[in-house]
Amino acid sequence: MGRTIVITSGKGGVGKTTASANIGVALAKLGRSVVLIDADFGLRNLDLLLGLENRVVYTAIDVLTGQCRLDQALVRDKRLNKLVLLPAAQSRNKDAITPEQMRQLASALSKHYDYVLIDCPAGIEAGFRNAIAPAQEALVVTTPEIAAVRDADRVIGLLEAYRIRNNHLILNRLRPAMVAANDMMSVEDVQEILSIPLIGIVPEDEKVIVSTNKGEPLVLAESPSLAGQAFMNIARRLEGEKVEFLDLEAVSGGLFSRIRRLFGAKG
Amino acid sequence: MSEAESTPVEEPASEETESPEATPEVEQSTPIVSGLALEHGEGRYRLTLPPDLDWIDLWPQLQLYLVGQEHLWSETLPVDCACGQRLLDQSQLQQLAEALSEHQLRLDKIITERRQTAIAAATLGYSVQQGVLPPLLAKETDPDPEPTTNPLYLKTTLRSGMEIHHDASVIIVGDVNAGASIIAAGDIIVWGRLRGIAHAGAKGHLGARIMTLEMAATQLRIADLLARTPDPPNPPYPEVAYATDQGIQIAPAYTWGRALAVSKAP
Repeated sequence: MGRTIVITSGKGGVGKTTASANIGVALAKLGRSVVLIDADFGLRNLDLLLGLENRVVYTAIDVLTGQCRLDQALVRDKRLNKLVLLPAAQSRNKDAITPEQMRQLASALSKHYDYVLIDCPAGIEAGFRNAIAPAQEALVVTTPEIAAVRDADRVIGLLEAYRIRNNHLILNRLRPAMVAANDMMSVEDVQEILSIPLIGIVPEDEKVIVSTNKGEPLVLAESPSLAGQAFMNIARRLEGEKVEFLDLEAVSGGLFSRIRRLFGAKG
Repeated sequence: MSEAESTPVEEPASEETESPEATPEVEQSTPIVSGLALEHGEGRYRLTLPPDLDWIDLWPQLQLYLVGQEHLWSETLPVDCACGQRLLDQSQLQQLAEALSEHQLRLDKIITERRQTAIAAATLGYSVQQGVLPPLLAKETDPDPEPTTNPLYLKTTLRSGMEIHHDASVIIVGDVNAGASIIAAGDIIVWGRLRGIAHAGAKGHLGARIMTLEMAATQLRIADLLARTPDPPNPPYPEVAYATDQGIQIAPAYTWGRALAVSKAP
């Protein structure tokens, strides 16, 4: 049985889908078989980020209504044969599927894949409940902003209420220079509020926009950017490897912050 | 920050405090409990489900109570579930039984006023009692409005969106995050960081207090008084908020005894 993990956040636009695509690809690069489920019915994006839009023939709804078999709906990635996508239906909305159906799909897939990753829609309504229904663990994505952290807090509470207690935090779009200047919440600030274990810190990266437009996840690049490396590290930590967190301050490298680091100050 | 024994709290202008929307919870004489309760009596528990909460909203609350109070029992205990007018179908009853069994509680009896719920429960093999429930403990025959209910003791983090209503004092061992709220008829004690909203003495008891290791509340309310904590907040040390003629005051816990004597608070 594979692991079923939901990637969620509460707030929109913090990078759930980007994280799902990159972690999925990264795990496949590590040699694991991965199925990504797009649970964002009616607003599907995951196929775009993976560059698989033009290969989608059937969707999860077609499987549930018996229009096709489950394996027919799975879209195989053109670059990594260990990675497949189960697309959401774009023409339907969140009520088109029930938590029970979601559980059936995920449990059927977890028999054949090492990882079942579910990309959760924003919000805490029906779509959220569908997406978390089959999950045994969750990756909660947040950015270092007060609104995103508040929503992540709510989502963690709801996950616990639905008995998903193996939860990890991904802090996305961190700008080390702003943190050093005290203009942005630091990793410690966020962790202090959310108090769940951290599995990854991803720096802000303009390449994400390029990669999204091209449908080429960051981790596929020849020499991945810092954000790409961060996603790769998250995948390795999911695999149980002990990986040091990237030293983002060193890279952002203002002279001031370097001196502060020399003297052991926390930034 | 200041060396003063008690730090006066910024309070909104008095006319604002008088306006009805600034004092939302005070007028009521009805119990403030949300209706969800887990009571102990003679080797069994009674779980009372509130009548007006949707299942989807009730579920997180129920989990919160179970996780927060798990430390109170050590052996598997049978539970009577009083559902009142609430309609429960078979799958909801099964979910309930599952949730209880995770916390060493065994769903045993369903007490309901609805025929359909009774049928669903009987189909699943639970003993069923139809009609209005008799009191579990003798205390309920006492119509004294003074809170005789036990304090609610929860060992958990209260996260954004969680709301606790209780007809007596509330003790939280853990943080209360911003976006969470506690509304208690008695005192509120938070052994952790208080960042949400705390309303002590919600039925009008001015002697109620709010005590916490770190007072960073979004808003403090005692009876019909309302205050914000200082911004920027005091450095984190244990503090007590209490009502005086001048409104809500906060004092460091270690000087609070003296502050109380000086201000002659109730």
